[in-house]
Amino acid sequence: MASVNIPEKPIEIFCGTGGVGKTTLSTSRALFLASQGKSVLLITIDPAKRLKQILGITDEQAGNVSTIPVNKFPGFEQSTASFDALLMSPRRTLYRMGKTTLQDKESQSLPQDLENPILEILTRPNGGMNEIMAMIEVEHYIASKKYQTIILDTPPGKHFIDFLEAAHKIQKFFDKSFIDIFKYLGKSLNKIEKSAPRRLLTMVVSSGVKKLLSYLGKVTGDRFVNTFVDAIVILYNNKDHFLEALKFQEQLKVQSFSNWFLVAAVDQQKILDASKLQNRAVTFMHEDNFLAINKCLGKELSGWQPQESCQIELKNSMLKKEESLKYFAARNFKSIIEFPDIAQSSPEVHVALLAKNW
Amino acid sequence: MKDHTINFSSQPSTVSSPHRLYVVTGKGGVGKTSLSLAMVHHFKQMGIKAFYNSFDNPPDKELCQKLDIKSIHFSTDESARTYISRKLGSEMIASWIMKTPFFNSLFNMLPGLSSMILLGHLLKILDENPEYVLIIDSPSSGHAMTMFESTHNFKEMFGAGLIVDDIKQMHDMLYDQGFFKAIITTLPTEMAFQEGLELKKYLQELDFKDVDLVINDSLVGWAQSTAVSKNSLPSFLTQKLEQEEQILLPYQQDISLSIPTITSGDQETLILAISEILGKKSWPQ
Repeated sequence: MASVNIPEKPIEIFCGTGGVGKTTLSTSRALFLASQGKSVLLITIDPAKRLKQILGITDEQAGNVSTIPVNKFPGFEQSTASFDALLMSPRRTLYRMGKTTLQDKESQSLPQDLENPILEILTRPNGGMNEIMAMIEVEHYIASKKYQTIILDTPPGKHFIDFLEAAHKIQKFFDKSFIDIFKYLGKSLNKIEKSAPRRLLTMVVSSGVKKLLSYLGKVTGDRFVNTFVDAIVILYNNKDHFLEALKFQEQLKVQSFSNWFLVAAVDQQKILDASKLQNRAVTFMHEDNFLAINKCLGKELSGWQPQESCQIELKNSMLKKEESLKYFAARNFKSIIEFPDIAQSSPEVHVALLAKNW
Repeated sequence: MKDHTINFSSQPSTVSSPHRLYVVTGKGGVGKTSLSLAMVHHFKQMGIKAFYNSFDNPPDKELCQKLDIKSIHFSTDESARTYISRKLGSEMIASWIMKTPFFNSLFNMLPGLSSMILLGHLLKILDENPEYVLIIDSPSSGHAMTMFESTHNFKEMFGAGLIVDDIKQMHDMLYDQGFFKAIITTLPTEMAFQEGLELKKYLQELDFKDVDLVINDSLVGWAQSTAVSKNSLPSFLTQKLEQEEQILLPYQQDISLSIPTITSGDQETLILAISEILGKKSWPQ
């Protein structure tokens, strides 16, 4: 049981680099809170295949909410509680935003008026739009008031700042530079036939913008430029949603609204990143930020008294890894929560054991 | 900064490496950088003109210096500017285009695009210097996948621009037999290993024939190399050993190399130790 007091908040955000156990840990958090009687939604992006299996989510179901009963986890068989899980699909978020009606609930392809190769790439798991789409989803579910706590498992990034900055990427689309293009496109947006992209280019008469696009066209081909301009138009048509999501993101920095967890793992640490944390985390984040150190072996290591020199070396090497991570942690985080290294193959057992640790 | 024009030695390479380009990928923190640097060091010992590249992350210059390793580095912006100025025949125009926030956003929003241009730049260097071997320390599996997919994606998207021929050339180089090898680094834990396998399968589906899976930080390997008696180990370690064996046993034919847990102090010693292991095991082949 954690001796750390974690205040109850409407949203909890888990950040960290890839491979540290973020998704497993955030799932265990959802399990823990649900077992305590809270209504919880876990939003995850691109989790490991095995975890999708526990949560009962297939790629085809991405974008739809599944309900997971607590009693399917070992040690929680008596519970009648459940928690909801959503595997994010940026594509489905995009066309929920759009004006099209969803013809096929299961469909993972973009509807016709959103069909655009660039948007297709952007809305993939590794495309540029994960973070902003996650914001839009969270905002949507908070507005629905269905859950006491929403847990967001973020895409891999070094820490909180990466996640917040990533969402801001979209803002560049709507900044001053694009106003030029939008000014000319905007005037004739209603006249634009999406099946005749060439018309768009001829409508753009500003010499600066036209020149830019024509240079681009030489390098990339006009088709790409047309496709790109089309993508901009689509995003522009939905800009209010994006701008709202960005405003919402500011709320995340409010202490009464959020808990931030940075997940690090003893076996996968990068000392360089840890030292960067030293300067950045404290300056902008509110006080309720926690470092969750996963895969700790501190207890077992201290109880081990090896005799052979190679074993002594191993113990020291393992201890050093943990110590150095905890040292940096103590200088940056209000609280540290340790999670043990779990040598278990079954994800359900793994999640259940971690849940006991909260 | 053109590191690669500094003379290696006056003698030509006496040994040729099996491939020209290696991309080391895998999730964060698995040991890609240590392995990549060890590979460059190992090739250097064999007399091969090998270079390290950390793709779109800045290289650890201090570490490279300590190990006497040559690195080649370009920022994605530099590569893009070079490319555009070459295509349009004007550095001035290229600079102007690069400065526009419009172009910046394009680059930021389409991650595959800047990766592809950077990769193209590196491939060009290999093309112009037939004795060079390059090891790319890819930032993470997500990025690597985007990079590999991009030659397929963008070929379609760029109908007839100047860039298409270049993409085709890149594509041909990458798929030329014996040119490129992908190395997936992973740990001997359930989830990490499964992801490594999935990534291997994914790359093979993209028709890359040469994909090696490397296990890093193997406790089983450590136990073997130190010939430690399992009875003398505490239970939490024997549990880890058993679990590792269980996870890896069914996949022995998929694993190309297993690097044992190394207990040395700093990263430099660690990398030298790995380089020695690569020598002993004659890997990569």
